[in-house]
Amino acid sequence: MDAACAIEVRDLSVRFGGGAAASVLAVDNASFTIVPGEFVSLVGPSGCGKTTILNLLTGLLAETPEGEARVLGKAPRPGNPDIAYMLARDSLMPWRTALGNAVYGLEVRNVAKAERKARARALLARVGLGTFSDKYPKALSHGMRQRCALARTFVLDSPVFLMDEPFGALDAQTKLQLEDVLMDLWSADRKTVVFVTHDLAEAVALSDRVIVMSARPGRILADVPIDLPRPRSIRALQNDPRFHTLYGRLWGLLEQGMAGHVH
Amino acid sequence: MSISTLVSIKGAPASSRHRRGAPDHEPAGSRRSHARIRSHALRAVPVWLRHALFIAALIGVWELAASQGLLDPAFFGRPSGIAAYLWKGFVTDGTLWRGYTLAGAVIAFVGGSVCAVATGLLFMVFPGFHRASEPYLTLLNAMPRIALAPLFLLWFGLGIGSKVAVGFSLTFFIVLSATVAGIRSVNSDHLVLPKALGATPRQVFTKVTLPSAVPVIFSGFRLGLIFALLGVVGAELIAAEHGLGQTLAYLQSTFSMDGVMGLLFLLAFLGLGITSLMNRLERALLDWQ
Repeated sequence: MDAACAIEVRDLSVRFGGGAAASVLAVDNASFTIVPGEFVSLVGPSGCGKTTILNLLTGLLAETPEGEARVLGKAPRPGNPDIAYMLARDSLMPWRTALGNAVYGLEVRNVAKAERKARARALLARVGLGTFSDKYPKALSHGMRQRCALARTFVLDSPVFLMDEPFGALDAQTKLQLEDVLMDLWSADRKTVVFVTHDLAEAVALSDRVIVMSARPGRILADVPIDLPRPRSIRALQNDPRFHTLYGRLWGLLEQGMAGHVH
Repeated sequence: MSISTLVSIKGAPASSRHRRGAPDHEPAGSRRSHARIRSHALRAVPVWLRHALFIAALIGVWELAASQGLLDPAFFGRPSGIAAYLWKGFVTDGTLWRGYTLAGAVIAFVGGSVCAVATGLLFMVFPGFHRASEPYLTLLNAMPRIALAPLFLLWFGLGIGSKVAVGFSLTFFIVLSATVAGIRSVNSDHLVLPKALGATPRQVFTKVTLPSAVPVIFSGFRLGLIFALLGVVGAELIAAEHGLGQTLAYLQSTFSMDGVMGLLFLLAFLGLGITSLMNRLERALLDWQ
């Protein structure tokens, strides 16, 4: 496999449910590569296997897939220090303060206490929660909790970020704000990101490339480069005609995928 | 004992605590501001004063009814007599300060809780053991424990041992089921991240499972302490050398209704004191809730 790739997925098929007759094909022969520093979104209708691919890369998938997947040249496994994983819901631990949540990953990775606190505080300040570090999640709004979850993910400083619909549960306004926060964090040192979403606008606004998947069984329909200039302001993009052209194109591709499934 | 009472005692301070914690510019719920206005209006008349007036009126009516012969003091006692009994017990001869009952309840509670939490953790580590012992535990728990008191009296004697045994047998099962429920209630979302990060089972247990189980276990403690008191008093009622239950049984058999009523109030306040103590402790320990 190519060592220059951050992520390499080749001829990947994932089948759920073991037995041949009752099993469901979730991912069908998917192949793609991602180079270091690239921000790539996986989009597709729900159930298209995008989260399955992410879980596979994180090492959380119980099923044994066909084909191959590599993260920085290594087979996926849980606890891979090269990966920072961000879940769909904020899933902050309510018994920990914002700071306590932000240090959690470093705690598991046995980073010294003083260092992990300093790093977490710095990240909380960058996501705009500097003055809320001693607050418990119950005292934070949805947007603030997701900011905290971003801090918890980026504090790990891993070369690869895998994000599973991190802003899926937010209202439109808050979502745009959080996307800008994510762009700020990412632009600072441009790590590799695989971003799963069903929101096409989000995918276009954030990514260097968008991989469009079909409805189940998930096949890759298209791999679309997003040539919008960086640095981007997500809110400014909302009025940019190029943004809407790309959005329209992707929407067309996604519609084809859905239609193929229904008929 | 009523659970709704516990909840309402617990609920009032919790909401005010919540208000303090919320950031001003992004309120977690705007409904709270209405609640603030309403509770402000209520606060104009002190709640304690209204309670005091209500209780004074109740005692007055009781005393009047007793003195007018509407309520037979031989069956219901009378407030002045109850006050005299409590005064004698607490001030003149001090017999009510001996604390046999409370000591028994505390020992039963601590012993029962420690064993229950330990068993709960054992169940978590050995799920097979849990499955195997569950039917027996269910059977034991279904047994009316107070009916075991005569047996415990035979085994552990008339002294504090048999009282502790009854209290223990009640507390143990309450705290055990709370511990098991607490460990089971861990949010699966909270387990995904440690798994992705490659946390060891020990890290998952100490940093996720246990802290998330603590509130449920604590509600078991709260209930367990009340039931420890119930067990001890119940066993004392049946046969004992000392204790509030023993005194209660004696007074009842001699038709000293003022004493019986006095002790019932005392037990109620003891239970209330225990509950509010546990609530304070919970608020201090579980500030994040």
